[in-house]
Amino acid sequence: MADLRLLRMRCYWRLAVFRTGAVNAASGSAYAEIGDTKVIVSVFGPRESKKAMMYSDIGRLNCNVSYTTFATPVRGQGSDNKEFSSMLHKALEGAIILDSFPKTTVDVFALVLESGGSDLPVVISCASVALADAGIMMYDLVASVSVSCLGKNLVIDPVLEEESYQDGSLMISSMPSRDEVTQLTITGEWSTAKIHEAMMLCLDACSKLGKIMRSCLKEAALASQE
Amino acid sequence: MSVREWMVGLSAGEKHFIQGGIAQDLRADGRKRLTYRPIYVETGVIPQADGSAKVKMGATEVIASVKLDLARPNPSQPGKGKVSLFVSCSATAGPMFEGRGSEELSAELSVALQRCLLGGKSGAGAAFDPSCLSIVDGKLCWDAYIDGLVVSADGNLLDALGAAIKAALINTRVPVANVPAGASLDEDPDVDLSSQETTRIDTSGVPVIVTLTKVGRHYIVDATSEEESQMSSAVSVSINKERRICGLTKRGGAGLDPSIILDMISVASHVSEQLMNKLDSEIAAAEADEQM
Repeated sequence: MADLRLLRMRCYWRLAVFRTGAVNAASGSAYAEIGDTKVIVSVFGPRESKKAMMYSDIGRLNCNVSYTTFATPVRGQGSDNKEFSSMLHKALEGAIILDSFPKTTVDVFALVLESGGSDLPVVISCASVALADAGIMMYDLVASVSVSCLGKNLVIDPVLEEESYQDGSLMISSMPSRDEVTQLTITGEWSTAKIHEAMMLCLDACSKLGKIMRSCLKEAALASQE
Repeated sequence: MSVREWMVGLSAGEKHFIQGGIAQDLRADGRKRLTYRPIYVETGVIPQADGSAKVKMGATEVIASVKLDLARPNPSQPGKGKVSLFVSCSATAGPMFEGRGSEELSAELSVALQRCLLGGKSGAGAAFDPSCLSIVDGKLCWDAYIDGLVVSADGNLLDALGAAIKAALINTRVPVANVPAGASLDEDPDVDLSSQETTRIDTSGVPVIVTLTKVGRHYIVDATSEEESQMSSAVSVSINKERRICGLTKRGGAGLDPSIILDMISVASHVSEQLMNKLDSEIAAAEADEQM
């Protein structure tokens, strides 16, 4: 596996594909495929908040991430990732201009069709494309990337197998053109220098991923004009 | 954390006072930006648990307990006991925690603590080595259930819970289980727990959690809930004795510049040393008190 990984180190990133308009019923939607990880995200709203909600002069963001039962090698294992919904919320809320839709709610529903590693970063990136497709005002797209620490090596965009052996992981969600980090989580033991190295690696990858996401949106906009 | 939603409203004047004080390095309660409130630790507060502690930081009060259960180890990790960690917020701490109201906050605190204390998938960076919970390799082990309870909430819950869990782990006595020779362990194991002997968990690697709350252009430690309501974002870093980072969580909506995050990490690392020393002496004193 080490050789294969070296090869990927050079080409760096698994093949990333984004497509908008995956779900007709939604205000906006996107499908993302990065390597084996396949994710679909629908955005509904802005629409009226539930009755029980208190008055709010800024908009609300409601996020939900779920896994299909067949997404993981062992059936139904995806439900282990309960915290993903709140992590998606935190990664996106800093980028969305919530003042632009007061009193209303935007729902973001993500479904992981196939879990192939780096699931949450793919969900976050895909969700921001879907939000853009829905015409929700944002400061910038949110691109998200994780690295795994395996022994002394840093491995960007880890696959499922690499994630299961990792000593630590670092995930960054950032707005590439503003150079701002909206979410950062670290697990495992790290030295400050290593964190610095991993962050730079991730931010660089985020800006590259941001370009891919942007070009997908441009293509979709051009296609709709024709 | 959706602190803002359950905050008592502050007037514009009060907000200005808090923000201005932080900018001038003199906070509402007289502290400097990087000063903690006095910390009180009491260990062995729950007799039913194998280890427990109560930590007070100002009006924030939390309890942590460690409970050990005999179990069969996971086949993929035959020489290790399972460690699980959960936090709950009691409605006694405030009406906003009633019923399902505390669910979101509890889940957030649990995830952040798991990230800071349980380490990576391979176990690197964990607070303690779960192999010390093994009794018979692949057959029998202790499962550790670490529970945190928020009794009273006045900001900085994560640091307080981290400190309480550290104290509870130091306070934990693992009973020595004598397995009779030739006993079959495949069925219900017959284990002799009658001996009064206990061992301790090696807690030298347990990190402390330092949360830096960013208000305006400055960061503060140990924010009260009023100060937390004014934050733009907060970064919680868990740091061990070797000053290595064992986990990090960012909270709050606003984005941060990468260089600011790195600066916050280095400030947190600096602050952690003082906190670690203070906490260690408080815990040692509490342990000595309990033994008397």
